Amino acid sequence: MRDCWITGGTSFELAPATWKEFVAGASPDERERRLLAIAAQALEIALRPAAPKTLKRRPPLPELALPMLPGRLRPLLRAALKHADDARGKSRVVALVASRGFVLHPMDWMPAASDQTSPDVYAPWIDWQAGVDGEKRTSREQLTAENWDEFYPAARRSALADMRRTAPAVARQLIETKGSSEPAEIRLVLIALMHFGLGAGDVPFLKSLSADRSGKVRELAGRMLARLGEHGQPGDGGPGDPTAELAAFITEGKSGFIRRRTTYAPAKLKSPAQERRRAELFETWNLIDLAARFGVTEADFIGAWQFGADNNVDILVSRMVAASGSDAAVAHLADTLAAEGGKPALFALHLMPRLDSRRQRDLIRLILKDTYYLGALSLAEGVEAGWLDWADLTNGKTLPALCAAVAGNDEAAKRGADQLLETLGFLATAAASERLIGDVVTAGMAPAAPSLGLLRLNASLAGPSTDT
Amino acid sequence: MEFDLKTIEALAPDQASLSAASKLTKQSNWPRLEKNEELALIWGECQGSGSNPYRVVVDTSDHGYKCTCPSRKFPCKHTLALMWIAATAPASFAAAGSTPEWVNDWLGRRRKTTSPPVAPTPGAAGKSIGEASLNDEGAAVEDAAAIERRETAQRKRHEDTRSSVSAALDELDQWISDQLRLGLVGFVDNSSDRCRRIAARLVDMKATALAGRIDEIPSRLMGLRSEERPDAAIRELGKLVLLAKAWRQAPDDAELRRLVSTSESREQVLANPDAIQVESLWEVLGEKIETRRDGLVSHSTWLLDLKSAAPRFALLLDYFPASAGRRSNAFTPGDRFDATLVFYPARQPLRALVAERRGDVTSGQWPDFGLGAADPLAAHAAHQDTAPWLTDCPVLLPPGAILLDDRGDAWWQSTDDPHGIALPIADTISPTLLGLDLAATAAVWSGGRLHLLAAQSGFGRLDLS
Repeated sequence: MRDCWITGGTSFELAPATWKEFVAGASPDERERRLLAIAAQALEIALRPAAPKTLKRRPPLPELALPMLPGRLRPLLRAALKHADDARGKSRVVALVASRGFVLHPMDWMPAASDQTSPDVYAPWIDWQAGVDGEKRTSREQLTAENWDEFYPAARRSALADMRRTAPAVARQLIETKGSSEPAEIRLVLIALMHFGLGAGDVPFLKSLSADRSGKVRELAGRMLARLGEHGQPGDGGPGDPTAELAAFITEGKSGFIRRRTTYAPAKLKSPAQERRRAELFETWNLIDLAARFGVTEADFIGAWQFGADNNVDILVSRMVAASGSDAAVAHLADTLAAEGGKPALFALHLMPRLDSRRQRDLIRLILKDTYYLGALSLAEGVEAGWLDWADLTNGKTLPALCAAVAGNDEAAKRGADQLLETLGFLATAAASERLIGDVVTAGMAPAAPSLGLLRLNASLAGPSTDT
Repeated sequence: MEFDLKTIEALAPDQASLSAASKLTKQSNWPRLEKNEELALIWGECQGSGSNPYRVVVDTSDHGYKCTCPSRKFPCKHTLALMWIAATAPASFAAAGSTPEWVNDWLGRRRKTTSPPVAPTPGAAGKSIGEASLNDEGAAVEDAAAIERRETAQRKRHEDTRSSVSAALDELDQWISDQLRLGLVGFVDNSSDRCRRIAARLVDMKATALAGRIDEIPSRLMGLRSEERPDAAIRELGKLVLLAKAWRQAPDDAELRRLVSTSESREQVLANPDAIQVESLWEVLGEKIETRRDGLVSHSTWLLDLKSAAPRFALLLDYFPASAGRRSNAFTPGDRFDATLVFYPARQPLRALVAERRGDVTSGQWPDFGLGAADPLAAHAAHQDTAPWLTDCPVLLPPGAILLDDRGDAWWQSTDDPHGIALPIADTISPTLLGLDLAATAAVWSGGRLHLLAAQSGFGRLDLS
């Protein structure tokens, strides 16, 4: 009957005898319509959808080690997530909530399978997203060479990072033993974890990676060795030697009348192609080798660099120091830039992930106090959430500048104020957030402005009462 | 709150809006009136003529506003009424510590203006709050002869409509026969044009509701895999045959008239002694706002009765012109409130109106309805026994999970019967849902697909609509 209707025609002769009884006696058209009605109900009621044999079920989404954000705060959270227009902004919201001891509801936010910036507490969800089947261990158990394969990748990363902080040699041995059998992109991630607790004991292993089949792994290992004061492959000093090529883009000079001292500044280049090449070399070469090319130490090179001559090159130098400088060199550059204040202090933002918590906080306090270019604060990476207190905000011109921008009619200044409020929403304590909202609203900001979303969430995550 | 009547008078687009607003200032029209002085916001929910309440929010600092009603007047009568209440009875507003999500949503999208309020629009002159406040006492008293004339005219219209609809159903029968003769393959391929043509004829012959249903057949077919479409066409057309036959048997039946020609007004339903009234706690399961081919937008809000022994649902359904623009949701999924609902008379009462809303209640788990895995579509089968022309049936499913087939399409399957029935899911789902055990799932079974509304899980309530 079905086939008959599909191609067109009458189906009465094909109908079951009981159906025919119902429709007999009617006109041919009416018979067909009645049969159609019976068939429709048969399809609707008598038949049930057949389950495909190959239905696949995902493993249950694991529960996380922290409690879920209370339901009453989820509207505030969703508003903050909605206003955060990129993944970085969203990850700040997530980090703030985690710093107050909560995780997000999985229907509000889930980390991507490739996520490497979310708080460690989300490792089980990252592994779940990666879609690895089967029951595996969580990062709460001790990782060993024997149970290596029983961990999902993100849980393994999280466990190794923890281990590097407490027992770096054990973690290194694990990476050494098991890493070699992993593909290049996983090896790269594992070796990058060695920046936690990086020490002299890691040198032999890192040197052994100079023969790794992946260029990216060799480059990363070289930069880590440079951080430990180890020189890379010595160049021949000829035109093909990258260190010599980079050094040629830098002008060595002298300054001072009584006590002459050496200075380094970016050379004036003739073409954008040369500038691109210089940037490329800064991005891939090491501070220690560059300093050695000029016959000085890392600290001497940093001390002699003329910040302010070319902002772009200053940024490249800061990034090279952050990637390949020793801890002492990084701290020295940060202290030097902070001492200068103003615009140079902003270059230190590139060093943030390498700085200790005290220096990170001091630098942010300094930038807030100077109020030179507050928008740069949003560039700061690897900073802790929720520590900036009211005294830090009022120790300088930041608050008056912010309120003036809010009260004024300059749209660009207002956008800058919105951006700064979002950054402060991540950095401030709950109490400071609450007071800041009050001040900017008094200055004329709409009380329900979306840019206050993160501050409002922050203020509501005040402490134990959040749990109620 | 900084409102005075002069401001409201200035903001009103015309005198008629003010007069209409004055009638809405009674507290009984506003089951919810709240304010947040810190944010300089007032908001409320007004039970208007539709099934869904209108949500109104006003920023008292700059007189910005938003209402979910489809009015083309700005501000609408609901907004003016809310301001009016704020000016004359500010104590009516309960202080709220936080703003509801729909208010946050508006705040997130609105663009603040720094310009002063605009000048009165042409034709807006001569507005007066005082005039609007006066009761409409001038209504003429009709004499007996006039009433008789009106009732006679009504009866004549009714008869005309009935004979016109009867003729329309004859045409529909002929059209269905033509589709069978020409073949359903051709019908599926050209359903858009063919359905449009017969729907236009049905509208001309006053079978408006039926026309709207036929207009939606193509999109329902296209939502299925190509191999499923012929069977779906049989189902759709067969149900039309059943509906036409049922109407011919009982043309004055309220449910059938609603499905074929026009629906009763809100007032008629509320005044109908046969309409079932249910006083209970209701949870908003979810909403669907869909633009139809006939230019109307249908706004469906599904509610679950939290006090009945077996799952009972209610559907608040409104239509408004698509040209009225995008409309915000009337409820937030998960909202719970205490209310009396009046159901449109039907064999399986589902569509309802909120007759009285008494206030919100706190959220929690759904009641244990003792759902079994034997046949998750048993409720649907029961609906079909009494009203086989229906296409949509709300169901509450027992513990289950969402699984994927080889093509990546999602299916719901009972936990207790992993080799039993699986129900295909209509919409794209969040991949996160694949890892959640669903203790109970509310959905609408329609056209061989499951449209998810909400679920309870180990991670709490999930909004799926």
